[in-house]
Amino acid sequence: MVARVAGVFDEKLTEAIANSKILVVGAGGIGCEILKNLVLTGFPQIEIIDLDTIDVSNLNRQFLFHKEHVGKSKAQVAKDSALSFNPNVNIIAHHDSVISNDYGVSYFKQFNIVMNALDNRVARNHVNRMCLAANVPLIETGTAGYAGQVELIKKGLTQCYECQPKAPQKTFPGCTIRNTPSEPIHCIVWAKHLFNQLFGEEDPDQDVSPDTADPEAAGEAGASALSSEGTTSGNVERKSTRQWAADTNYDAEKLFTKLFGDDIRYLLSMENLWKKRRPPTPLTWDNLPGKDDTPAQHSGLPDQRVWSVHECAQVFAASCKALQADLAGRPEGDHLVWDKDEKSAMDFVTACANIRAYIFNIPTKSRFEIKSMAGNIIPAIATANAIVAGLAVLRAQSILRGHLAAATSVYLRPKVNHRGQLFVPEKTLTPPNPKCYVCAPKPEVGLACNLKSLTLKELTTAFKDGLNMQAPDATVEGKGLVVLSSEPGETDHNNDKTLEQIGLNDGCALLVDDFLQNYEVRVRLQQEDEEKTWRLVTDADAPMPAPKEEKPANGSNGADEPKPGPSRTRADSDSDMEIIEEDEDETTVKPPKRRRTEMSDEVVELC
Amino acid sequence: MVENNEVELSEAEAEQYDRQIRLWGLESQKRLRASKVLIIGLCGLGAETAKNIILSGVKSVCLLDNEKLKEIDLYSQFLTPPDKVGENRAEASLQRARALNPMVDVTAETRAVDDLPDEYFTTFDIVCATGLKQEQLERINNVCRDSNKKFLCGDVWGMFGYMFADLVDHEYSEEIVQHKAVKRGPDDTEKNARETVSITVKRRAIYVPLQNALSADWRRPELRSRLRRGDPSYFVLKILLRFRDEYNRNPDPAKRKSDTETLLRMRDELVKELSLPAGFISDDLLTDVYGIVAGAAAVVGGVIGQEVVKAVSQREPPHNNMFFFNPVKCVGFVELYGQ
Ligand SMILES: [Zn+2]
Repeated sequence: MVARVAGVFDEKLTEAIANSKILVVGAGGIGCEILKNLVLTGFPQIEIIDLDTIDVSNLNRQFLFHKEHVGKSKAQVAKDSALSFNPNVNIIAHHDSVISNDYGVSYFKQFNIVMNALDNRVARNHVNRMCLAANVPLIETGTAGYAGQVELIKKGLTQCYECQPKAPQKTFPGCTIRNTPSEPIHCIVWAKHLFNQLFGEEDPDQDVSPDTADPEAAGEAGASALSSEGTTSGNVERKSTRQWAADTNYDAEKLFTKLFGDDIRYLLSMENLWKKRRPPTPLTWDNLPGKDDTPAQHSGLPDQRVWSVHECAQVFAASCKALQADLAGRPEGDHLVWDKDEKSAMDFVTACANIRAYIFNIPTKSRFEIKSMAGNIIPAIATANAIVAGLAVLRAQSILRGHLAAATSVYLRPKVNHRGQLFVPEKTLTPPNPKCYVCAPKPEVGLACNLKSLTLKELTTAFKDGLNMQAPDATVEGKGLVVLSSEPGETDHNNDKTLEQIGLNDGCALLVDDFLQNYEVRVRLQQEDEEKTWRLVTDADAPMPAPKEEKPANGSNGADEPKPGPSRTRADSDSDMEIIEEDEDETTVKPPKRRRTEMSDEVVELC
Repeated sequence: MVENNEVELSEAEAEQYDRQIRLWGLESQKRLRASKVLIIGLCGLGAETAKNIILSGVKSVCLLDNEKLKEIDLYSQFLTPPDKVGENRAEASLQRARALNPMVDVTAETRAVDDLPDEYFTTFDIVCATGLKQEQLERINNVCRDSNKKFLCGDVWGMFGYMFADLVDHEYSEEIVQHKAVKRGPDDTEKNARETVSITVKRRAIYVPLQNALSADWRRPELRSRLRRGDPSYFVLKILLRFRDEYNRNPDPAKRKSDTETLLRMRDELVKELSLPAGFISDDLLTDVYGIVAGAAAVVGGVIGQEVVKAVSQREPPHNNMFFFNPVKCVGFVELYGQ
């Protein structure tokens, strides 16, 4: 018997706890708190999974970790610390990704309740499916700043994590980033793309040179410039930016001159762009604003001071050198991965974003602010995590008592609502969406694409990124023909063939399944000549993420407050009060790369 | 109130508090760093409150308790190692409390509140008390109030909990988000031309002492109309405080049956005394009030911790003046009493 004192709970709950087995996914801010509550309450068997190691910026809230633990496994240290609260319980720690063959449906089936304390959608989607397949109740948790929520997901009884379409991650038209930035974020995105072009994984979607295909510039697309300096602009000369930079030995002055001088002059030559816009100003390396300024008195954190353009150029040069050395120290063909917590990587993006901002008359920002924006930091605090984790474990207790119907979602609001409520429970459970392509009895979804150009390889990406599958297999419905196999080698020879070439046509249906997730969905192919890549089409009435509502008059809250009420969709994720815990920027799992994600019918690529 | 420390944050502080500075700003963090907090009562709720306040990065925290650690405390008290049962709760909590954040000065005081002079309490900027009797709470509240110091108290019984705040005459700033139309380029649509700007406004809140809040006159029509909202948490608190005063202890899990009967009897007396509607305070609210359940301590300790941060940083509207957590409905709400 783990409970030390009889009578704290009634007999039924005491017994249910004594016989329970709980899985906690994530040992971050909420995960630490959940684990503490479970252990103190006397839950006898707990497993905890986390892939991450401890960082110093976790210490303000992930209280099971101390300075001496930095760099160690979160799951393991959390287990050791929690056991010191109550050595009579059993904790198994896994320093691992939950998305793994080691944690299949039968693994999930051994638990009475799974509690999610995750920081990214990909893992949440995956655990959602595992719990649906294993028919285990899942308690989803999340906080963002002062706000948070707790939600029960149970197959057939409630909506699942994927029942409501989520707003796609915010993206910007390529031509805004490359040609006509108007906000700081445009310059920051450009600077991150530039980092990848020079030091990271090269991605053709992240070109940073002037975009000559910009429809606004149509017709005259910089014709004059083409002839005069055709060799340095990315779109003209197909030499990769990386190669060019390497050939100059990452010479800061040469890089600067091309990126902030030549390329800007090229943009200026696309005259249509500047008919109604203020044109950019090219910069010259040895004549930069702020050169002779003495730094003004600054109060606040050093990172909160905004650098002059001259300082930015110096930081640009220094960070280029450091990053070049980092890259050179790696094996041939390896690349850097941008990380907001890497000094040089963050310096580089701050400097480049600000230089570009200055050129386009956009306000420049401090390194501190740019870090928030570039790193998608959702501030996390101890108190909100404690409250949400406390509510989650109380909800787990009522589920163990068998009171599932009473375990409705609860929202922690940043400020009280008009009724004075700070924690707002929903009145009833939200039933499943019968057309959900994940939890419906017979899941179905449409895939719009151009069968004449979409390759099998791209189709695989659609299943992985669009349908969140890990290792999809696909057969043609009615024929049993294997189109795509997750076994290495089986269908690889078709990778570059188009869907038409492998015999798929408009209206044909594929049965796509993921063995690990025990999930099968029927995918209808829809021919669309205009579609450049692919996009998911849900049943006609599946709503797009609703436009943001205006705040009620009495609500002086920020845009990121959670909206209680059954009608709430999870659409408000660009303000991030979706169930997103923590500020970790999805380092554990690679976020989808596609510009169009999930159920978005909106064409993001405007140009 | 707390003096704004003009000394800049060290690099180590900036790094450790990075995320919260992004939420509440550098000024708030500096105010936190200058504030001295007294936490009375190192049961589970006291431990939760201490954890949140120490993590936030205040200047100092004093843990005050003259009681010994009991088995039942271990249900929610994680600052005391289980092998220290029988030792003073404040001292037993010290080591782990310090490890939470080495930048905060954490000390222990083992004298009973009744043995401490009034001046003792006013050496702190803010006092958070738990586990005390009503008259003890009122004494400390009034002492703090006379010196313009902030006072909070709270308790958790089983899964039920409350918090009371007397911030006296409190000035704070509040950030308000407004939508502003901006137009930069010709291709800006209505939608993307809207920008949110946040402005900061100064506000002031006047509080009343605990004795006013706990002696609210329910015959008055404006309070009577509150009964229609139907949450009896205020009365549950009154019953539990009366129980503590009368029996000099909290409801005891070992006497679950007889104590529940006592509580229900006290409930009936209160219903009669205040002419409350029959059945207004349901039995289930008084049957789960044993020990301190960890989840509930985390919830109420989270709210108290956040209120301390708001109070000393003078940022964002603090709750005025009572917060209740009703575990049956899983609702947490704020109401003003005694004004
Ligand atoms: Zn669903």
